[in-house]
Amino acid sequence: MKKSILVIIVSVLVLAATIVWLLNEKAPLSISENAPILVALVIVVFGLYVGYSRLKSERRGEPAEDEMSKRIMLKTSSMSFYISLYWWLAVSYFSDRLELETHSLINGGILGMAVIFCLCWIVFKLTGVKDV
Amino acid sequence: MYNRIKELRAVFNLTQDELAQKVGVRRETIVFLEKGKYNPSLKLAHDIAKTLNTKIEEIFIFE
Repeated sequence: MKKSILVIIVSVLVLAATIVWLLNEKAPLSISENAPILVALVIVVFGLYVGYSRLKSERRGEPAEDEMSKRIMLKTSSMSFYISLYWWLAVSYFSDRLELETHSLINGGILGMAVIFCLCWIVFKLTGVKDV
Repeated sequence: MYNRIKELRAVFNLTQDELAQKVGVRRETIVFLEKGKYNPSLKLAHDIAKTLNTKIEEIFIFE
């Protein structure tokens, strides 16, 4: 129960931080500045969905986590880490060719990792895991 | 590998929810098992076999 609520709290905090950041922006944001907001929203939706499904399971008297959900998370973690290595390679390749500030590149790299993690989780959730 | 969980569950007149509760997993896990999208651990296979009063090798069949 505590872990489910923690996931929801973290998601709400990310959403609140994004809203505060948006409110503090004086000039209208360009398309490239809007992209991180969309990614943050995707992460928030993902977090809220995970927290909600855990709470729903607990209310039905099922365990919030069982061996399959743990295995899906394990496989997601390993696969997203592996793909992230290539993502960072691409980021470092484009950093020489695009005139972006260092913090923008780091932000893009981290947000990209989050999106990769979400996508891997969705893929394994749909296709299942037959082995580890 | 395929399994006969769905068939045996029907024999014992158990819903996916009930089987999930008896073996201590989420209903989703039973759905994935029946669809062949998930291979269970030895412990879960043993628990399912015990609940369905059948031998493991009669539920999980290697082709």
